[in-house]
Amino acid sequence: MPNSLRFATPLFCLLLACCQGCGTKPAEVDLSVLADLEKELAQGPAGATAAEPTSLSTRKQQRTLDLEKDALKLGFIKLTDCAPIVIAKEKGFFGDEGLQVEVIAQPNWQTLLDNVISGELDGAHMLSGQPIAATIGIGKQEDIFTAFTMDLNGNAVTVSNAIWEQMQENEPRLKQPRPEHPISADSLRPIVEDMLAAGQKLQMGMVFPVSTHNYELRYWLAASGINPGMYSPSDIAGRTDAQVELSVTPPPMMPATLEAGNIQGYCVGEPWNQQAVAKGIGVPVTTNYDIWKNNPEKVFGVSKRWSDENPNTHVAVVKALIRAGQWLDAVDPSGDLVNREEAARILSRPDYVGADFAVIKNSMTGHFYFQKSDKRAMPDFNVFYKHHCTYPWYSDGVWFLTQMRRWGQIAEPKPAQWYEETARKVYKPEVYLKAARILADQGLIQEADVPWETDGYKPPTDEFIDGVTYDGRKPLEYLKAHQIGNQD
Amino acid sequence: MKYTLIKAIDVAGLNFLTPVVLLCYGEEPAKQLREIGRYIVLPLLAVAVAVGVWVLVAERIQTKSGKLPNPAQTWSAASAIWTFHLREEDKADAYLAEGSNRAQMLDETEARLAKLEAAAGIIESKLSSSQADASAAVDAKQSPAEARVAKATAEITRARSRREEALLRLAQKLPAGSPEGKEQLVGYVRAHEAKKQLEREELKALRDQLAAQQAGAKPEVERWTRLQSSVAEEQQYLAKKADLLAGANRAARLDREKAQLTEAEQELLAATGADALAAARRVERAEGRIASVAQSAYAQPATLPFQTKRSVLCVFCGFLLGSAIAIPIGILCGLSKTVMAMATPFIALLKPVSPIVWLPVALIIVSGFIPDPDKNPLVQKLWALPWMGDYKINPAFIASAITVALCSLWATMTNTALGVASVDKDHLNVARVLRLGFWDRLFKIVLPSALPLMFAGLRISLGVGWMVLIAAELLSSSEGIGKFVWDQFNNGASDSFAKMVVVVFEVGVVGLLLDRVMIVFQRLVSFDGAPAAI
Repeated sequence: MPNSLRFATPLFCLLLACCQGCGTKPAEVDLSVLADLEKELAQGPAGATAAEPTSLSTRKQQRTLDLEKDALKLGFIKLTDCAPIVIAKEKGFFGDEGLQVEVIAQPNWQTLLDNVISGELDGAHMLSGQPIAATIGIGKQEDIFTAFTMDLNGNAVTVSNAIWEQMQENEPRLKQPRPEHPISADSLRPIVEDMLAAGQKLQMGMVFPVSTHNYELRYWLAASGINPGMYSPSDIAGRTDAQVELSVTPPPMMPATLEAGNIQGYCVGEPWNQQAVAKGIGVPVTTNYDIWKNNPEKVFGVSKRWSDENPNTHVAVVKALIRAGQWLDAVDPSGDLVNREEAARILSRPDYVGADFAVIKNSMTGHFYFQKSDKRAMPDFNVFYKHHCTYPWYSDGVWFLTQMRRWGQIAEPKPAQWYEETARKVYKPEVYLKAARILADQGLIQEADVPWETDGYKPPTDEFIDGVTYDGRKPLEYLKAHQIGNQD
Repeated sequence: MKYTLIKAIDVAGLNFLTPVVLLCYGEEPAKQLREIGRYIVLPLLAVAVAVGVWVLVAERIQTKSGKLPNPAQTWSAASAIWTFHLREEDKADAYLAEGSNRAQMLDETEARLAKLEAAAGIIESKLSSSQADASAAVDAKQSPAEARVAKATAEITRARSRREEALLRLAQKLPAGSPEGKEQLVGYVRAHEAKKQLEREELKALRDQLAAQQAGAKPEVERWTRLQSSVAEEQQYLAKKADLLAGANRAARLDREKAQLTEAEQELLAATGADALAAARRVERAEGRIASVAQSAYAQPATLPFQTKRSVLCVFCGFLLGSAIAIPIGILCGLSKTVMAMATPFIALLKPVSPIVWLPVALIIVSGFIPDPDKNPLVQKLWALPWMGDYKINPAFIASAITVALCSLWATMTNTALGVASVDKDHLNVARVLRLGFWDRLFKIVLPSALPLMFAGLRISLGVGWMVLIAAELLSSSEGIGKFVWDQFNNGASDSFAKMVVVVFEVGVVGLLLDRVMIVFQRLVSFDGAPAAI
């Protein structure tokens, strides 16, 4: 036996040598020719020959972008709104750009962001709040860009059957197979108060501290005078003064956690609300379409470093995503979405969203079950292209910043100008417009599909559940208009 | 021959085969049959009983968040995993197909697609007719049940309002004061509320019954839906494959790029001045694209067979790393009581630390050394390795391997120390008499006699490492079995739990094989042929 140890050393050396030897090297370019170029330069200025190339060749240059990187890894979370990335791969839109894209499921939002920061992923499906939070340093600081909004709407608030019954007791109007919408949290308030009087707090789940879901759930509760609690540097769980305690639960665990009784309700994206209905463990009471009509939901995020190193690749990816959004929202002359069933079929593959086709189909084809007896048409439940939704609006960024300030995640008051500057740091319409310009020139999208002339702010809107007007240019006025939360 | 076979069986630790071999040679048939009965037939019976229990239990455990899959569902989940793997491999092949082979594959794919198209139409009509039948059947049962619920609701509402009325009348009759009367009133209200609660429960039970009836099994509909699903999935796969054989094929892409290059070269010949420079740039770029397309491969998603191989690679990396740390330290501890005393607090402190704690620490350290994996020279070198390169070793992989090492090295370390410390004193005395140097004494006396215990430790370490790895992969999302399990949990599809049960068996089988390999090693180094525990 000891003999074998003597063999081991040379064997190990051999192995090392192998490792050294088999590193593949790209074909070396002879750099000495550059010296000739220097000589050429010494002979005098190029003069008149340095004219602009003719228009013919510029057009040809644009046809294929000069990609810095053509094999990409994009991350996503198993939610139906990752659809643009998946569709761009499966329907060959990435392929048309000359990109070979691997689409990799991530276990949770934190790991996804970490992987984008570490360079393990080139880009990812992100919560709208994530690029902003990372850029201003809530959690890990890293500059993240977004040049593409993936979708609008798509979330819902679900409560357990027991809470739903009590809400019906409090509000007899809800006691019918198809109650009138929107349902506010007014009928929830007596329950919260009763529980507080008994020394308990209602527990609800959301998916991430800077998620759309957190802000929507807080908005819905606060609109009915329920305090969902404040964040502060010493309270990163956001429970100071809370009447309802919110906690982070990964989306797939929401139904199980609800059934186990650890939470009494949650706000999450699809398919997890439809699952609650399908399994009979909860009732979706409101969608985020009712909380804020056509609210921005997910974005496509990349790190600033990556975008700086691969500007053309970034444009190419956004091009493919825009086409995927267009494909997802394609309608026939009668206005029915034509590609959604196929999209649901693709998304139900185990390496993508992986839930049952029937469950994904519900919301993707524009329907939503509020109860088993209450199926409603919601054509705008998921919007991937309409309403200029893929454009990276500064006003969306400002809204998330106002919510971070409102709930104390941004600890100090900021001037209005700061909101605009920060939004400009994160949202990159210039990349989007470059991609859109090429697509429009190629005739792949309509000129009217892109807001070419916008200053990046959507018109003011009051389509919120509490009717407060939001104007992205006046963040401080918006903060003042609310009763609960920071007002400056 | 017989003895070689028996020896081989013994070394491999497959002792239950020995009576079979002996029986074949006709040695003491009665005794061998008894042995076979005990070591082969009875275990098989136990397995059969376990499967039976599984079937029974699976039928009973059906919660709202899912149900325990039975063996049949598990089997079909396993074949679904395998089908998915085969399809992805097929797509990867399609991307690389060239020439006549490509044309032939394309023809076959399109023929199959046409066939499926026809089948899908038939299934659609069957499905809708069976759905109509099922809903008619439900309606027939439904309306009386609905009527029952409505009647009960009406009755309860009426009773409730009658009671409310009576209470009001009673209250009106009572004058001010009269504590006894008021006491009675409160009693009535209390009873009324309790009754209300009972009624609510009664109604709820009725409604649940109704809902259960609605949701009742519709085997015919389910059968067609399943068929429709599998046809639609195959269609989708074939459509993608056809695309990969036609426009998106590598050869086709190369042809397109080459055509562009030729065009650019012609333009370059004709052009002058700034146009010539622009054309030269285009030529250079086209050449670059051709090079990258020629090297490209279909971006294949990780499938379970790939993930399993990657997990095994990861566990061996971690195991080797752990052993490289544990064996030298173990030897030192065994040789010297002083070193042992110095090492004891560290061993005692670090041994019980959970992988859940080690993993984030390892991740932070690794990503500190490898900030950008795409550009890191070490990672690049690993990717270029002939065989390991396919597994794309990344920081998550390295962190998982380190976690495995940190959790598994303790068994090896303590066993090595014990083995080295318990070397026969006589042997050491002989060494002293022969005036052997330190290294000779180590390699000729100490290690050979410590080897059996060391290997026992290594075997435990490998087992622990395999258990730890699954958890580490799950947390770090390093592509592997652990990630597969977490992805399935996240999917929450109707067959997700069945797929997870498949993984239970897979992990068990791989762990068993690893253990067997270590047993073989352990027996090879044991002088006395001491039987290793099973």
